[in-house]
Amino acid sequence: MLDDIKALKEKIAQVNIADEKDLEAFRLEFLSRNGKIPAMFSRMGEVPNEDKAEVGRAMNEVKNFARETFETHKERLERKEEVILKATDDLSLPPAPCPTGSYHPLTQTLEEMKDIFYRLGFSIADGPEVEDDFHNFTALNFPPNHPARDEQDTFFIRKSDDPDIDDLVLRTHTSPVQIRLMQEKKPPIRTIMPGRVYRNEAVSPKSYFLFHQVEALYIDTDVSVAELKETLISFARLMFGSDVKYRLRPGYFPFTEPSLEMDIWWETNGEGRWLEILGSGMVDPNVLKAVDIDPEEYTGFAWGMGVERIALLRHQIDDIRIFYDNDIRFLKQFH
Amino acid sequence: MKISYNWLKEFINLELSPEETAEKLTLIGLEVENVIPYGSNLEGVVVGEVLDVRDHPNADRLRICDVQVDDEKLQIICGADNVAAGQKVPVATVGTTLPVETDDGKPFTIKIAKLRGVESRGMICAEDELGLGDDHSGIMVLEKELRPGQPLHEAMELYQDTIIDIELTPNRPDATCHLGVARDLSAALNLKLSKPFETEFEQSQQLDEISISIESPEKCHRYVGKLVKGVQIDESPSWLKNRLKAIGIRPVNNIVDITNYVMFELGQPLHAFDSDRINGNEIIVRDFEEPVEFETLDHIQRKCSPGTLFICDGRGPVAIAGVMGGVDSEVSDETQNVLIESAYFDPASIRKTAKEQVLQTDASYRFERGIDPQLQRIAAERTAELIADIAGGTVAKGCTDVHPVETKASTLTLRKSYVNRLLGTDFTLEDIDNLLEGLELDILEKTENALNYRIPTFRPDLEREVDLIEEVGRLYDYNNIPSPEHGKFTSPEPITDWERLLAKTKESAKGLQYREIYSNSLMPKEEAEWLGELDEMIHTLNPISKEMTTLRPSLLYGFLKAAAYNFNRKAQQIRFFEVGNVFSKTEEGTYHRGISEQTNILFGLAGFKTIEHWKTESEHYDAFDLKASINGFFEQLGLADDIHSSVDDENVLHYRLAGKTIGRLHQVSADMLEHYDIKLPAIIAEFSLTEIFKIRQETGSRSYEPVSKFPSFEFDFAVIVDQSIRAGDLLNTIEETAGAALEELQVFDVFEGESLGERKKSLAFRLSFLDKNKTLTINEVEPIINKVVKVLENQYSAKLRS
Repeated sequence: MLDDIKALKEKIAQVNIADEKDLEAFRLEFLSRNGKIPAMFSRMGEVPNEDKAEVGRAMNEVKNFARETFETHKERLERKEEVILKATDDLSLPPAPCPTGSYHPLTQTLEEMKDIFYRLGFSIADGPEVEDDFHNFTALNFPPNHPARDEQDTFFIRKSDDPDIDDLVLRTHTSPVQIRLMQEKKPPIRTIMPGRVYRNEAVSPKSYFLFHQVEALYIDTDVSVAELKETLISFARLMFGSDVKYRLRPGYFPFTEPSLEMDIWWETNGEGRWLEILGSGMVDPNVLKAVDIDPEEYTGFAWGMGVERIALLRHQIDDIRIFYDNDIRFLKQFH
Repeated sequence: MKISYNWLKEFINLELSPEETAEKLTLIGLEVENVIPYGSNLEGVVVGEVLDVRDHPNADRLRICDVQVDDEKLQIICGADNVAAGQKVPVATVGTTLPVETDDGKPFTIKIAKLRGVESRGMICAEDELGLGDDHSGIMVLEKELRPGQPLHEAMELYQDTIIDIELTPNRPDATCHLGVARDLSAALNLKLSKPFETEFEQSQQLDEISISIESPEKCHRYVGKLVKGVQIDESPSWLKNRLKAIGIRPVNNIVDITNYVMFELGQPLHAFDSDRINGNEIIVRDFEEPVEFETLDHIQRKCSPGTLFICDGRGPVAIAGVMGGVDSEVSDETQNVLIESAYFDPASIRKTAKEQVLQTDASYRFERGIDPQLQRIAAERTAELIADIAGGTVAKGCTDVHPVETKASTLTLRKSYVNRLLGTDFTLEDIDNLLEGLELDILEKTENALNYRIPTFRPDLEREVDLIEEVGRLYDYNNIPSPEHGKFTSPEPITDWERLLAKTKESAKGLQYREIYSNSLMPKEEAEWLGELDEMIHTLNPISKEMTTLRPSLLYGFLKAAAYNFNRKAQQIRFFEVGNVFSKTEEGTYHRGISEQTNILFGLAGFKTIEHWKTESEHYDAFDLKASINGFFEQLGLADDIHSSVDDENVLHYRLAGKTIGRLHQVSADMLEHYDIKLPAIIAEFSLTEIFKIRQETGSRSYEPVSKFPSFEFDFAVIVDQSIRAGDLLNTIEETAGAALEELQVFDVFEGESLGERKKSLAFRLSFLDKNKTLTINEVEPIINKVVKVLENQYSAKLRS
């Protein structure tokens, strides 16, 4: 008897109910008055008294199982019938476009550079784009006839023969901010100075008449080339990855002595070459004297680099002008 | 500057390859831009003997030649008219790649070919096809004595070299010649530097034949004249031509070539005069108070301003000193006697003249940088000796050396302590001295802690102790300076408030879904006129292009240009912001008197707010879209409660902070849109961050306000007013009248229609009141509303709508 009950349960479990018709067939087969469940109970008389309790439990269990199966499927089928989607509820429809804000790629590169310098303990300062001859040239140890003072290279805003009125130029580098900073406060100074600079040059894929620089200055007692080197290397590793390959070589700037440039090894399509990324050096004693800092007491290093240059490199862009076209199709690639 | 690798080897026993040499030069401060092979050994090109020439059966212009090469006879088709039996010719055998390119830019490799049905196994070459010259008039005919089959490079002793192109920094005048570059290498590599010429001379008597005088000693410190008589003007020998050709100098004749050779060897520019064409047998170095017209060697008539230094003879100028000679006294085929000029001219004077004449010559390039003031005699003697050797003639007795301004070698003391302090090294005095050895510095004195050096006059850049430290550093190689691998900790300072404001500004703008642009801060005058009075703007005095005449007085131009650029490329929606500096004239000035330099932020919307889509209609941006963003922006800056705005007669919305105007919001005018060919509406708002910063610094930041535990009480009412009355004015009045309990104020309906009466409109306000300490009821709010309505009635003749 118990075996029959078990077989019935298995049979119920195996019934496949796909639609209303199947459900009705299930009801008729098992639960209706002439169905197999009532038929099973009608055989209770055959059961010996001592087994009645156990068999009764098993029968009830099967009955409940059949009912639950029926109810579950019934509910499922009813629910299915109710779900009729409206056309506009279709989640596969595309939404209206959402405008996206973005930083210009030069801002992004600059922010990365700033973050690195902040980690290296630098603060930040700024200065004007219209600068006087003293800050842009004289205090930075440019001799009076230096080619950079040529009109061919520098935008002049005001030129005066009166020695009391200084010429004004569009700053050709961010180094004049060094001078302002050292005039304002005494060492130690550990600061970066980002900003826009200008060169009176024809526009080409390689050069634009304005670009952005970041200047770094560190003045303290006993700052050395070795320390400059350590800072340069730290910067290169934080900017380009810890496996960056670099080299230092002598350079020339009027406001540093000795002057060094840094190249990094850059590979594209399997071909490598050295690319200059920045100019640096020990602040020239003449510069320190110009701002009343004693070069015997203090030494320091300064360095400058182009934001565009680094951005071109990182994104493998080959035309600097694209930064100033502001083409949305270009800008949207930088998030 | 082009340096020949072979030439360097005349001074030092260089074992490095050209590439290694270039690398070393870069690492000691003579940055190499390029390493370029010069000449080719023309592998595969051999001497051939033309045995027979016959006509091609199918082509009038082609011939069939039998050419003997070694023990092989080749049939070669040739198109040149001058080919003839019995000639010795260069033959490019099959498989040879010639140093020229085909028309489509590919390497020219000789293959077995059929030309009009006849096989050709090689090519008889013209001069240009072998890269040996420009001649393409016919095939090259070689010397008769040559042996067939002999490689051409052997037969012709072809010249090969490697050219190292150095980008010279302005502080290194000593390295403008092969000797100077070799000296640096000798110091860096510890090689002996040999000089293949005399450097010591007895004091000499003056030349009898020609008198030399200097009238402008401040511009000409020294003038050495040397005479060679009875020279034979001719082509230079091939070694000399090769040397010059390899570094890109065109050979002219033996005399000119020798002066050039010595210039590139020693760095002293030289000039050779035909001494028979020097009038009055005198040379006078002088300038003039009046402008001078002069025809230079390049046959250009030049106007020279007063003060230009000239070399003159008895009749007048014969050369612009240090820049270029004149036509009248130049060495010609008939020249027999040559006067060699070897002079020192003041760098500033030469620079001025070269700039004025827009003429940079190899001579002016060197004079401008400053040549060795003690080199003139050596170079003159060297030149005379070479002329006598190569062009014959005899060196006249004597040498005139006019030397009004003498430059003596300076001395410098180098302290060990300063070297190590600045470089971060641990050198001994011996280390330092070993590093500097080779630079031709003489030690005058050595103490325990310092060295005293005599500085050679060819190193005018070594003026101070620190300049010598640079020499130590670069010769040691900065890459070898041990990196401490840890930095000193310098207590950092806080990020400035200004920097924080800039960062917050950009972050907010990005968060408000605007895209950042970077536009030019220089603009053309014609465009600037649209933005205001040109008189009030700052202009550049010397722009090389009209695009860069005026500093932007606002960020509007950049926005419109960027918008137009994108609309032209099918963009439909523009949401831009820019943070940048703007400039104008002012009394006081930000950093410099008369110049205002402020940092602004611009927000701009243009085109479509929504583009036709299943969910929304397409719709243009309007001023309220931007106004909403601006409210969001000030909210982000924590200024929402402090900002007030009002509209002027032109419908421009002015924003004020602490009573000061900080910016404006407005539609871009139709005229302007048309000018930029923008066909969709555009709205911009521009604010001065500089002003906002100043005010914020003065007022300080707000502290936290506790959130009220009690609910707010809302009250709506509507009024009818004249159309001319601005909603903003009503709102301001309501705010002022309602007092501190008013938490929020909004306009929820604007309506105009005939039912209200002529030129009337209705505005419906929702006022939300809040008290921190209790729940407000109608009892507390009603009196406030009554008061507000009364004031509106009085001030604006407003009628309460029932």
